[in-house]
Amino acid sequence: MLTLSRISRSYGDTVALDGVDFVVPDDTYMSLLGASGSGKTTLLRLIAGFEEPDHGEISIHQTRIDGQAPHLRDIGFVFQNFALFPHLSVADNVAFGLRYRANKALNNDTEIKDRTQEALVLVGLDGFGHRGVSAISGGQRQRVALARTLVCEPRIVLLDEPLGALDANLRARMCDELRAIRQRLGVSFLHVTGSETEALTMGDEVAVLANGRITQSDTPDTLFSQPRTAEAARHMNAWNTFDGTLCDGMSVKGEIAVRFDQMDVSAQGRAPKDHLRVHAQYLTGEFNGPTALSFFRAADGTLLQIIDHLSQPRLPDLIEGQHYDLHFPSNALRQFHGAV
Amino acid sequence: MQSGILRPALATYTALFLLFLYGPMIVLAILSFQSIDGGPQFPIRDWSTYWYQHLLGLAESSRVSQLPVGESLVRSMMLAFMTTVVSTILGVMSAEAFRTKFKGSGPAFYLIILGMMVPGVLVGLGMALLSNTLGIGRAWWSTSFVLHVVYTYPFAFLIMLAIFNRFDRTVEEASLSLGVTPAQTFRRVTFPIIFPGVLSAMLFSFTLSYDEFARTLFTAGRDLTLPLSIYGTFSVEIYPNLFAFGVLTTLFSFTLLVIYGLLMKRFTAKASRFSGQEDAA
Repeated sequence: MLTLSRISRSYGDTVALDGVDFVVPDDTYMSLLGASGSGKTTLLRLIAGFEEPDHGEISIHQTRIDGQAPHLRDIGFVFQNFALFPHLSVADNVAFGLRYRANKALNNDTEIKDRTQEALVLVGLDGFGHRGVSAISGGQRQRVALARTLVCEPRIVLLDEPLGALDANLRARMCDELRAIRQRLGVSFLHVTGSETEALTMGDEVAVLANGRITQSDTPDTLFSQPRTAEAARHMNAWNTFDGTLCDGMSVKGEIAVRFDQMDVSAQGRAPKDHLRVHAQYLTGEFNGPTALSFFRAADGTLLQIIDHLSQPRLPDLIEGQHYDLHFPSNALRQFHGAV
Repeated sequence: MQSGILRPALATYTALFLLFLYGPMIVLAILSFQSIDGGPQFPIRDWSTYWYQHLLGLAESSRVSQLPVGESLVRSMMLAFMTTVVSTILGVMSAEAFRTKFKGSGPAFYLIILGMMVPGVLVGLGMALLSNTLGIGRAWWSTSFVLHVVYTYPFAFLIMLAIFNRFDRTVEEASLSLGVTPAQTFRRVTFPIIFPGVLSAMLFSFTLSYDEFARTLFTAGRDLTLPLSIYGTFSVEIYPNLFAFGVLTTLFSFTLLVIYGLLMKRFTAKASRFSGQEDAA
């Protein structure tokens, strides 16, 4: 179990992390979702020991590891750019840790070879060992990076946007494989990403990093359907967050959120009486294939989005510039108490 | 249309430029095959390899004494070798230090660079005066050696700085995260990757030291290095044996270059790029 308590880190005047409390349980796939610049890479680098926190404690199984040299921490790290050793073959890349690590280094060549082979089979690269790392594709490099880390059997594996450099097709496939590999090994993965779909697909649990803190950490479905903070809701990219005073039909205070798919549109004054209403102007639509997004602007300038599924169209024909009533049942609404 | 004229014009210009560049060397090479009774100028009386034999002491005794380059050649090579080793190590170490900003890194940078900027004659003279004041004897392996390092170290440093500038730090972090110590990481990851740069730094240090003149002139003491002893022969009279020697040293330099080129090729061939995305399965 990896525990972070009150971790802070600043660069000059910029606060990257501001008192992060975070727990990664054993044998878990943990996704860490954050916008770019939210400090998620910094968080990983602090855990790996490439940088030190200004304040706070990091511990694994109740043993503090902050202040320890990175090579003594026994934490795997998979880099966004893979960071393969360009002068070594695929097999030598994978064998590198086994051969040269400070603790428990292997010097039995057959054992190294067997372990390397096992790791290559695990990531589906059987038979690629002799290749140079510049002679394989992006997806294969990703697997080499993974095999190189996993073969050392670290206590936890940190993945820094590991799918960011892959194309969409490959990304979807690697998602499934990463999960499968992790389940087979039983080691915890901490997967950092800026994509909410990736985070929700991969994670047994998803944590949202915003404003230098973990704002919520929950199972994907809980996080998606019941975000506890406006920040968490915004990161799902499926919730309209706006000020409650925009609503007609009931007095609501504070910041509220309604999911894109739970809002309906009707002509002005035609909304069902028992629904809450928001008056807004239609801006434009965006066709995404199986779904279509419509954009509206509320009276105070807030942008609102409504999603429509092609199989079940429910929106009327909309004219750009026209005003409409957006409405939703009161049980679709989420209120955030004491949210920032 | 314009490029129709431009290309041949530029090609001609380049050819002329190269000819101009290598003109002296070509003349030198031709004159080195002068016959026994010919002088150090055109016309060539007759083609012969006499002066090569003379240089190597294979010719029968003649009115021209043998070039006194043997010992100084060995000295110069030793000196260049020592300088190469020390400058390259210093260059790599300080460039490594400059990868992270440290207090006083700005002044330190300029102080290092100063070594190659200051006129050699002045530094040489200064060193001679200093060693006199301190009562230290001057010799090619002590006072000259120090100045050669001061002179070549900035070159090695700048080359390594440029190499580290493009260096991807994450591969080192990857090695650390695999449990490998910083020292082993340098040995197994950093050094192999920067090795082509180290080779270049070595080549620079060697050639710069090998034909260094101004700094050595005042500091070499009694035993001369190669450039000094060649200069010394000018004061007597010039014979084509000097040209023969010039040709041989040029060949030696070419050999060094070829070795450098082969090593470079060997270490950079692995980095040949893969283009296009392959199927992942």
